[in-house]
Formats: sequence, structure tokens, C-alpha cells
Amino acid sequence: MTRNRWFGVLVVVLACTMCFTTGCRKKKGVAGDKTTGGMLGEPGMEESAFAPRPGELKILTDVKMDTVLFDYDSTQIKETERAKLDAVADYLKNTNTRAGVIIEGHCDERGSAEYNMALGERRALAARAYLIGLGVDGSVMQTRSLGKEKPVNPGHDEAAWRENRRDDFIFFEQ
Amino acid sequence: MKRFYWVLALAALIAPLAGSSQVRVVKSMNEVSLLDMGMFKSLSDGAPALFRRILETDLTRSEYFKIVNGLRAEYALLGNATLEGSSLIVRCEAYNVISKERYLSKTFKASEDEARKLAHQVADEIVMALTGRPGMASSRLALVGNRTGYKELYLCDADGQNLRQLTFDKTLSLAPKWGPDGRQMVYTSYRSQFPDVYLITLGNNSWKGKCIANFPGLNACAAISPDGREVALTLSKDGNPDLFIMKISSRRLTRLTATKWAGEASPSWSPDGRQIVFVSDRSGSPQLYIMDRDGGEPKRITSAGSQNVDPDWGANGFIAYSSLIGSLFQVFVLNPATLAIQQITPEDASYEDPSWAPDGRHLACARTQRYHSRIIIVDMISRSCISLLPDSATGDWSSVNWSPR
Repeated sequence: MTRNRWFGVLVVVLACTMCFTTGCRKKKGVAGDKTTGGMLGEPGMEESAFAPRPGELKILTDVKMDTVLFDYDSTQIKETERAKLDAVADYLKNTNTRAGVIIEGHCDERGSAEYNMALGERRALAARAYLIGLGVDGSVMQTRSLGKEKPVNPGHDEAAWRENRRDDFIFFEQ
Repeated sequence: MKRFYWVLALAALIAPLAGSSQVRVVKSMNEVSLLDMGMFKSLSDGAPALFRRILETDLTRSEYFKIVNGLRAEYALLGNATLEGSSLIVRCEAYNVISKERYLSKTFKASEDEARKLAHQVADEIVMALTGRPGMASSRLALVGNRTGYKELYLCDADGQNLRQLTFDKTLSLAPKWGPDGRQMVYTSYRSQFPDVYLITLGNNSWKGKCIANFPGLNACAAISPDGREVALTLSKDGNPDLFIMKISSRRLTRLTATKWAGEASPSWSPDGRQIVFVSDRSGSPQLYIMDRDGGEPKRITSAGSQNVDPDWGANGFIAYSSLIGSLFQVFVLNPATLAIQQITPEDASYEDPSWAPDGRHLACARTQRYHSRIIIVDMISRSCISLLPDSATGDWSSVNWSPR
């Protein structure tokens, strides 16, 4: 190849590399090449950008979805929990109401309250990323961490802790 | 003999950081001096009596002194506390009994209903004059209590008195952290239904607050810089909880960490404001890291313990934090220059979330037993543990943060 062509190839290669490392701002909508079902989700992608917080919250109190549970110190969406997120995605994609959801992340009572704020938030974000992978628009999903502050089971044993490590889903009208 | 060895270990731990004061007398922190108060006269009731009682308590709590009355001592306090009209007048001299050297000679005046506050002030002046080190008697603590059924912020004096509720929001108010002037504080509140960071400025009997971070996602773990101009905090607005620095006046943000697969929390500034210690679970478990505020690669500083959380970088240069040993947390002190660590708390309960007192030796932390938490003051030197609040203070208390002055 001529030197100009090599240069052209180099420019294209560089452009592609930069595109990947800066997150491909031009891509919109569904998370590119992520397959459904198998991925843990990838927080931080451009297409997952938050919308501003909803002003007044009109909670849709009769929409109830199952709580997603987590292992200790983990933010991974377990296989057993995926069907619950599928149901959430189905609702959000097919509902007639312009519904949004607050994904509320929680931890069990053990450990640092501050660290658990971040851990609860990552649990919420993990569910959000998974839902984006299923085609839900990032802009209809807010996250809210409650750390270890709001256990659903006030007990102090493994059974209670297991129930408290969770994501709750609160639907609201946009 | 065992005591000798841990005192030696502690001395080795603190040796590089001791003795930086410019004052004429600098006592070693583990020295307890006899202080004769027999020649300090006061009436037996009213403001002067209260003053004397609080002064004696504060000097004892400092752990630099053992108070004796009329017995042979190293130091003596001479003077009196009297009422003139509605003013409390205190004349005070502190001197070395052998050498007769006078370290303090001063007259104080306050209104009689400020007897407590004056006693705290005088106690700190005596501690400084006789040891060359700052006291903690005049300082305050911010803490979180749930006795109303909601977690709200409270304030109290260093001796646990004057407990006052600060917030009345009937939501969650969490993680108060003082600014350097002892008048400002940041905390996290769910007033908006979401976790946001607020900045409070305390007046004498009131306070004002404003929201400084209400981005989508998490706004939490805020800590004011030593120069009072910036806040380090955790934000998840870009899709992951990471550390940022926010300039308070302009709200301009600078990102510090960008770990997609990990969370960062609990930033605490070094005394010179150049570095930040924080918690990250990038290794798989929450551990402590130090990084420059200007950016760069964080350096992991903890290795022992399955979890290391809630760091507080004291003005004394040491980092206090909680470490999970088995199923209990213990408070440790770490020297960032050597990474040497020392356990401070006993193993009878879980001790978490330590905060340094301005005297550089005491720490407040939450002690949890049977799932209820109280605030304890621990001394790094003597290992004493005392309860901050009286037993009558109901509910659980946590997230204590000691004012810097």
C-alpha cells in the first residue's frame, strides 16, 4: 500500500479506538451489541443517561412487581431474579400510561452505613442496566439508594438479611 | 508488662508525627500529671460552683490530669470563680509546683448562664498551657438519632450535655460532617424523596441550610475540605457511584474516580487538603485507598481485615477507621506514612464509624451491642471507653462527627 493509504488506515483505526473509549456518544436507544439475558449490565454508558428527577411524584400504587434479591456484598443480577426484571421491562415497554420507575436499592443491616449507600445504589444501577439491555429507555428509570436504612424484615438473622438485600420497584406517572 | 509493650508499639506508631507543636511545653500524650485544685476557690452553689464542677470534669476527661485537692502535685491551679452581679468572673493561674513557673495567668468573664461554656473554654486553655496540646472540652459533636421515629441530626457538647435536635424533617437525615470553622456542616437528606447533600450554617440559636447536590441517582458521603471551599462526595449521576470534588461557591464538579465495576464512598481529606482517603470495593471487598486530590492512581492502604470502612483522617495525621474482624467491627488507627495499624477498641462489641476529637487522642464512635447503638468516646492512648450521652438519651445513636474546634 502507498504511504497515504497507510495513513488513511491509521486515521480510521485511531478514530474507531477513540469512538470506543469515549463511549460512542452518537449511539442512541438500545444498548448496542449487548445480548439480553446473559449480561450483567454496564453502568456508565452514554445511552443510559438519567433524565432529571421527576418533579412531583404521582406513585402508581396498584402496580406491584416482585423484589429482586442479591447475594451478600454483591450487585450481580442472579439468574433466579431475571424473570422478575423481564416482568418489569414488559410493563414499562407495553403500558399505556407514561410510566416511570424508581429502582430502590437496599442492603442488609451489616456494615458501614455510608458504604451501604454506594452498594445499594449499585444494586439499583445493576437492575437499571439490565433493563436497558432489555430495551427499556434509560430516561424512564431513576435510582434511589436507601443503603441499610429501610429493611423490609426487622430480624437479625440470615433469613432477614437475605430479604433485605434487594431492589424494590416504585412506579410513577411521568 | 503487656501494657508496656503496647505503649511501646503505640509510641513507635506515633513517633514520626509527635512533637510538631511550637509551644514551650509539650507533654508526651501518655503522661498523666497530678493537678492540685485545692487552691481554686468558688462558692458552693450557683454559677461559680457549676463552673468549678465542669472545669474539674473537663480536666479529668482530657486524661492529661488527675485532680487532687491539697495533695502534693506537679501542677496547681490558683484562683477563684465568683459572681459579680449577673457576671461570672474567673481568675485563674496555673503553675508548676516545684519550679513555680507560671503557665497561665488570666481573668475570664461571662454571663452567669454561660458557666458551662466558660468552664469548657478555661479547661482547654489549661490543657494547652500545661501540655502544649489542644483540648477537646469546647468542641461539639453532630450525630444521628432515631428517638423520634425518624433519623434526624442532633448536636451536643463534648461532655454529652446540651443535646439538641437539629433537623425536624421526618425523613432520613444522615452522615453529618463538620467544616473547618466548626459552624458549617454537610449531610445527606431525603427531604426531596431522594438522597441529596445539604450544607448547613449554624448560628447561635438557629441554622440555615441549602441543597448543594441533587443530581439524579445518589448524592451522599459529603466531606468538607480543610480550607472549607470544597466538598468531596459520592455521586452516581453518570451511572456509577464515584468520587467527585465540588467547589462550594460555583458548584463546579471535578471527577476523581471512574470505576465502572466498583463503588466509592466515605471520602475524608488529609489535614493539608492535598489527599483524600476513601473506601472502594474495586478489589472485591471495601478497602481504604489514598489518592491525590488532583487525580492519579489511588494507593491501597489496608490489607488486614475483610472490610475496612469509614475512614476519618485526623488533624494529627492519623487515619481512624473500622475494620471487620470476624463478625465484629473494631476501630483501628493507621499511620499513612508507614501503614502501621493499631487496634483501639476492645472486642466486647462492634465499634464503628470513628471520628477524631480536636485533641488528637480521643475518638467518638458507635458501639453496637444486641443491635442497638450508642456513642462511645475512646482514648487512643489509655484505651478508656466512656459513654457520650447519659442513659436517658433514648433510641439508637450513630454517625457521630466531632467538630474540629
